[in-house]
Amino acid sequence: MPKPVVAGVGMIPFAKYPQRSLVDLGAEAAFLALKDAGVAPGRVEAGFFANAVGSRLFGDSTIGQNVLWEVGINRIPVINVENACTSGSTAFYLACNAVAAGQAEMALVVGAEKMCVPEFGLINSGESEWDTQLGLVAPASFALRAQRHMLEFGTTVEQMAQVAVKNRAHAAGNPVAMFRDLITVEDVLAAPMIVDPLTRFQCCPIADGAAALVVCSEAVARGLGRAAVRVKAVVLGTGGYESPQDLAHWETDYRVCAQAYEKAGLGPEDLDLVECHDAFTISEILHYEALGLCPPGEGGRFVAQGHASLGGRVPVNPSGGLLSRGHPVGATGVAQVIEIVEQLRGQAGPRQIAGAKVGLAHCMGGDKAGDTKSCTAAILSI
Amino acid sequence: MHIDNQQDTLPLVPEGIAAEAGETGPVLTGGHCPHCRRDFFPRPRHCPQCLQPPEERQLSGDGVIYSYTVVRTRAPFGLPQPYAVGFIDLSQSGLRIFGLLNQSDIGRLAIGKAVCLKLEPLGLDGKGGPCRRPYFSLAEREGDDA
Ligand SMILES: [Zn+2]
Repeated sequence: MPKPVVAGVGMIPFAKYPQRSLVDLGAEAAFLALKDAGVAPGRVEAGFFANAVGSRLFGDSTIGQNVLWEVGINRIPVINVENACTSGSTAFYLACNAVAAGQAEMALVVGAEKMCVPEFGLINSGESEWDTQLGLVAPASFALRAQRHMLEFGTTVEQMAQVAVKNRAHAAGNPVAMFRDLITVEDVLAAPMIVDPLTRFQCCPIADGAAALVVCSEAVARGLGRAAVRVKAVVLGTGGYESPQDLAHWETDYRVCAQAYEKAGLGPEDLDLVECHDAFTISEILHYEALGLCPPGEGGRFVAQGHASLGGRVPVNPSGGLLSRGHPVGATGVAQVIEIVEQLRGQAGPRQIAGAKVGLAHCMGGDKAGDTKSCTAAILSI
Repeated sequence: MHIDNQQDTLPLVPEGIAAEAGETGPVLTGGHCPHCRRDFFPRPRHCPQCLQPPEERQLSGDGVIYSYTVVRTRAPFGLPQPYAVGFIDLSQSGLRIFGLLNQSDIGRLAIGKAVCLKLEPLGLDGKGGPCRRPYFSLAEREGDDA
């Protein structure tokens, strides 16, 4: 069975691009990834395009074909992927599977989002959902988890704030991150309260952006003469949805992370870095625990003791994460993989983790019945 | 509690998840699978275990707060600003469900406190008109550990 590798990466800085179209953003990232891999568009045998809110905001559909033709890719299978915040990581999952199945020797993954427009409100699980009509918005879901975590494990608002402080410090070394000015715990706690106990600095900012990956078989990568990063495991899971859900011990999160470790034949002790879905500060704390970076309930103390910082035991979100890189929904899952690839290639500049060999990219999306709708985890190594 | 006729005819949002049940006050409209002996809220199209159509079942809205929060961003659907939401552990069915909390309980909310269900004018419907919504209110009675 062919083994998938990442042979090229490209992304544009996450920012606000009021003058540029979604297709324009996606096409630039695709172009950069093809250049990085050193391949012509004719080599690409499958395309996966991720976008989450374009159809709602602009009424567009089958955007991927438009983006790929901008970089000379036509005739091949092109699939448009929408899976909320995991749209990009789901597109990566599909591309890796297509290569592993021998359906394509080379695939292009592009995630792009344009959402910094006046029409955009708070993310929810869909206007027609009964819980949305009862006022459920994304930050509330996570605030409810935070309240339970604080009660059950003694997690503090200061510990949660430290996730935001750490990720901002990491972003200072990342030129594509949206916010790079250092902040303190005091700044985080003094920011306007969004949903108790989460302040504005504890909720990831929306952004425009695009990111792309060239995925191919190991054999094809050898022919390119470039250092490829191996995909040891890539898994996608869906929520359990049964009642009652334990908001402080996220079954779906634990299950998907365990599947990724099992597939890769690796464990949390093997990781040199993690990119995880820190949509809110409490999310990252929950993910430490699901990923087995620390025992259940210890996530708040784990970050407070510096274990998740650059230079710590397992740096988490060295890119700055969603909290500081910004969260253009469809591009995020792809950008996480890019951070892992750059770290493993030794190209991460001031935020480089010395000798990094294994990294894990983790993402989550959607909200249903106190559970996530989608969770992905990918383990890469060099 | 007295509810006048005019309020009684206001549309229910979301549709079909709660109802007035006379003397006992409002109830949640859930489902029950007689084969699997499981309760659901809201009522699903099929029992997820055996795929039989669940019966409609009125579920008591009495419960305790499992978690709660106060939303301080711009409130959707004409809800008050700020407004409170939470997950409630329903005492009778054992289900844990999301719901609105009584805005006037903000400041007194705590995990573990007993709540009961209300069905009263709250926020706006899809057409921007007044409507009733189900929400949970602190139960001021014995068992309330305030
Ligand atoms: Zn059944």
